[in-house]
Amino acid sequence: MENNLVLEMPSPTVKNGEWSMQIRNLKIAFDTPKGEFVAVKNINLNVKQGEIISIIGHSGCGKSTILNAIGGFIKPAKGEVLLSGQPVKGPGPDRGFVFQHYSLLPWFSVYKNIFEAVDSVLKKVSKEEKKQIVERYINAVGLASHKHKLPSEISGGMKQRVAIARAFAINPKYLLLDEPFGALDALTKSSMHIELLKLWNMDNRSKTILMVTHDIEEAIFLSDRIVVMTNGPAATIREIVEVNLQRPRNKKEIAHEPEYIRTRDHLISLLMDKVSILDYKK
Amino acid sequence: MKPATSLSHTLKGHTIIRVAIAYKLLAERKLSKIFGTKFVRLLKAMLAMTHQGVQSSLLALVGFLLLCVVWHLISWFTKEELPGPVATLKVLTQMLSNPFYDNGPNDKGIAIQLWYSMIRVFTGFGIGTLIAIPLGILIGSQPIIKKILYPIVNVLKPVSPLAWFPIGLAAFKSAPNATIFIIYITSLWPTLINTAFGVASIPQDHKNVARAFGFSRYKYLTKILIPYTLPHIITGLRLSIGVAWLVIVAGEMLSGGTGIGFFVWDSWNALSLEKVISAILIIGIIGLLFDKLFTSLEKLFAYGK
Ligand SMILES: Nc1ncnc2c1ncn2[C@@H]1O[C@H](COP(=O)(O)OP(=O)(O)O)[C@@H](O)[C@H]1O
Ligand SMILES: [Mg+2]
Repeated sequence: MENNLVLEMPSPTVKNGEWSMQIRNLKIAFDTPKGEFVAVKNINLNVKQGEIISIIGHSGCGKSTILNAIGGFIKPAKGEVLLSGQPVKGPGPDRGFVFQHYSLLPWFSVYKNIFEAVDSVLKKVSKEEKKQIVERYINAVGLASHKHKLPSEISGGMKQRVAIARAFAINPKYLLLDEPFGALDALTKSSMHIELLKLWNMDNRSKTILMVTHDIEEAIFLSDRIVVMTNGPAATIREIVEVNLQRPRNKKEIAHEPEYIRTRDHLISLLMDKVSILDYKK
Repeated sequence: MKPATSLSHTLKGHTIIRVAIAYKLLAERKLSKIFGTKFVRLLKAMLAMTHQGVQSSLLALVGFLLLCVVWHLISWFTKEELPGPVATLKVLTQMLSNPFYDNGPNDKGIAIQLWYSMIRVFTGFGIGTLIAIPLGILIGSQPIIKKILYPIVNVLKPVSPLAWFPIGLAAFKSAPNATIFIIYITSLWPTLINTAFGVASIPQDHKNVARAFGFSRYKYLTKILIPYTLPHIITGLRLSIGVAWLVIVAGEMLSGGTGIGFFVWDSWNALSLEKVISAILIIGIIGLLFDKLFTSLEKLFAYGK
């Protein structure tokens, strides 16, 4: 299987001293009929260029909210998000977003879905080049033989590939992925992890990736650091866990490494310690 | 379909049926070998469809026969004051056998009258559509404009076409143009309301795609708003043409001169209820055809969700 694929690629090119992304004292609140609802607060995070960061936490703790703030879809109540030193003012093509529910346009083919995004973002590129870019990313995610199908005619895993190809094809500096593999079965998920790393390697690991997940093993396999959230409301960062595993990682082999086991156990204890039989009596 | 399958189910154990099924499978396999499985699947689907089609046409025929019986009874009870099916059919075939004759202003064939009506309907409906779609998009996408314009829409929408007629006369100084005006103003609303509803219901997901990938206004309009709203617009158009076809008869009865509405009124004055009923049948069938046309358009533009 593809899972065992070892990726031979140069190590990340990280510029020294300059943060690619900075989240400073971020607080996000929603107006609700019952008054202000604080979803997250006191979020502080600095990310280097080319890092892969996972945000992990229980459902409803504000993972999507943080990602949406970085994406520019919602405004912070307090604090700010800086991208290459510039505060986020709204959505922009420097960030490739993979939405939780794929968000493909159902009336367009796989090809058209990617093309329209590329066409919109890469304004100065000739039409011929745009077509080549689209083809390249369709091939990269292995959808060449499905490119003329509509989203309704392909599986969930394929839709996710299209969404990921679309996000990469606009050549953004940052990739924001909201539970990109959440709806996939275990096998498809594993091959998608490889696809994601392949795309990341294709650009010399220069893209910064921020990914929301609730899968501990996925987070360890993919990330350099894992942001563990406390439970909401008014959730915040509980701990940032470093993953000290050499890249390229081999899914089969790392599972036996002591560092992997240590990290996994630590994450489990961070996420599960509050759950005991007593909690279910409430 | 249902009873047939359950029947075959209960009979499945029977030897003859078993042999028949075996032969059917054999035949299918042979055909698949020659023409491919796709062809056989298509053939089976077509057979099933024609089977259903034949069945529902037969049932429809039963309905119409029942109607004719009731109609005949009423005609018989009223001592033919209401002409019966046979008498009407005679007049109808007469009308249809020479539909294009033209003996001066008040005496024209049915096809010519229908032609006049169609031109009016499509002029009024066309102008209405040209205004309703852009206005609907505006109302659907701008909540403020909706708040300003919707109360007006809600007041004007329920007004009877006949009430608009004098306004049309005053504005255009011509009865035929007043007829077009009342078609325009009454067939406007379904398209407008459906378009506005469609635009307002564009999912946030699609809007976020446009924002994330920096779609220009034009790209948003052509690649998201219109494709998403098109099925709603076509539904609106279907309802609008239905209204227009309802209104034309009333309008031409008032305006006189030409058209199917005038034909109905003229036939009544000539004391030919056979002609009136024939016209009713023709009006109904044409209305049905309009509906079918737009229903098939709806299907054509319905995208896989
Ligand atoms: N638009 C909104 N209005 C009000 N509350 C919201 C809104 N979006 C999210 N929330 C609330 O904020 C919290 C965090 O939501 P979310 O970020 O979607 O969680 P997660 O992605 O971690 O599952 C939840 O309690 C949710 O109900
Ligand atoms: Mg979420």
